[in-house]
Amino acid sequence: MAAVNWRTINIDALDPDSPANFDLTSLAPAVAPVSTADVQSLAGHIRQLLRGGDSEGALRGALENPPYGADERGKDVHLATIIEILQSIRQSEMSPILSRIYQSDGGTEALDVLMKYVYKGMGHSSSATATKQITPQATGFSQVHGRGGSEGGGQAMSVLLSWHEKLVEIAGPGCIVRTMSDRRVV
Amino acid sequence: MAPPEVHHLFHHPIADHSFSADRGTLAVARENNVELYGKTGGKFQLKDELRGHDKTVTGVDIAPNSGKIVTCSQDRNAYVWEPSPQGWKPTLVLLRINRAATCVRWAPSETKFAVGSGARLIPVCYFEEEDNWWVSKHLKKPIRSTITTVAWHPNSVLLAAGSTDGHARVFSSFIKGVDARPEPSPWGERLPFNTVCGEYLNNTAGWVHSVAFSPSGDALAFAAHDSTVTVVYPSAADQPPKAVLSISTQVLPFMSLIWSSESEIIAAGYDCEAYRLQGSEQGWQLAGSLEAAKGRPGLQDQREESALNMFRQMDLKGKSSDDTKLKTVHQNTISTIRSYEESGGVVKKLSTTGVDGRAVIWTL
Repeated sequence: MAAVNWRTINIDALDPDSPANFDLTSLAPAVAPVSTADVQSLAGHIRQLLRGGDSEGALRGALENPPYGADERGKDVHLATIIEILQSIRQSEMSPILSRIYQSDGGTEALDVLMKYVYKGMGHSSSATATKQITPQATGFSQVHGRGGSEGGGQAMSVLLSWHEKLVEIAGPGCIVRTMSDRRVV
Repeated sequence: MAPPEVHHLFHHPIADHSFSADRGTLAVARENNVELYGKTGGKFQLKDELRGHDKTVTGVDIAPNSGKIVTCSQDRNAYVWEPSPQGWKPTLVLLRINRAATCVRWAPSETKFAVGSGARLIPVCYFEEEDNWWVSKHLKKPIRSTITTVAWHPNSVLLAAGSTDGHARVFSSFIKGVDARPEPSPWGERLPFNTVCGEYLNNTAGWVHSVAFSPSGDALAFAAHDSTVTVVYPSAADQPPKAVLSISTQVLPFMSLIWSSESEIIAAGYDCEAYRLQGSEQGWQLAGSLEAAKGRPGLQDQREESALNMFRQMDLKGKSSDDTKLKTVHQNTISTIRSYEESGGVVKKLSTTGVDGRAVIWTL
């Protein structure tokens, strides 16, 4: 017994009522499971709208049906769809579209979802470029190379950053806080 | 609207505050002690200190009629302080919790109080005459995480509690021999101890910072860390509520809220200023800040800068003006709002304290 440091015993593991012993998913709101095929067919619909020039309708459709219950692959498909829409909308149209969505019914919820995708998109594009930028030595030459290779990611990032800026102007910091505290992840 | 009355007490966070019924004494929780300030002239002066807790004090509440003060702390204890000729006399309360106590509130009847705790339960404490001390009964189910806030219904039986598991719950804390049978209300008719009268979750399941019953007790509001305020109108026992209205705001989350009337809520938090929310069963909305655009005490000392001074500042500091002060009265998060003056069930004045060590009295 002397060898056991009693201060480091995890007492929660021994307590039947402890939070370590119940299913944490019961705390969050229930989300309906969504299959990847459903996400893909939704993405098809949205692309059609986008090709028809209705980028606002496409964005709305994508934001109103976030696949919270989908698996990783389904979520990635939806992320790709949303990034595509975001990249197709011109900078001057961002604010008017966002304020129209904000003023409509359920608009704040839609913008919260958009914020989640902006952050997720930032995470994705930076991890994609990070792998390209690995260089054996931090020489000036290899840095130039690295920058050349990350051009695509950098462009996606600048689009996301301008969306982020416009979004915070309209939905305020409350939108960011909701993105952070929400247990339904995209 | 009269300008707010600002009292800068010290440079420490104020975890909680409470005024005595005559508003002459202000009790604030400062680190491990509770300090009692007395009003002399227009200022609050330190009068007395309640020493006894050996960790941060998290809650303090003065009973308006009996004048007893209850305090709770992260040391897992609560004390009831009674005035005596030798000063304030503490009585230990048997909370029986193995985590910090987070908040404490007297029931309106003043015969019992509830303590929130990290032990996933709420001790409801009452005085046992025979043994001459305060004992507790635990509200346990179905709490899954730390209780951050408690609030009493005007009938002293129903208790609302907010938790970090994202739920706001309404419990019955009926104790035989202490409470009279409550009148039937939309929350329920038969209310034995630990009846769960309501359990509410908002969309994002952010943890709850503050709960409050409306003055009539027939509605419940809670503020969560997702910057929302949710208002619940119950219909009857075991029935779904008449309306659950969630207001997503553009501002940072609210830490504390009170109902100023049946149709208005005042909430404040990380934005360092208080906001009004107005509405009814049909819908609620954010109606604006409590701070008028002018007349903020913080703005008065901004005067015209001379060109020489501006360039000198730019040279020295790289900026033309010193913008280290917030444009709000409070200079940091507001952690507690309480009613200060009421008439006819409508709050006329309220008090706020926060992390900046200021106590501010606002006129609505």
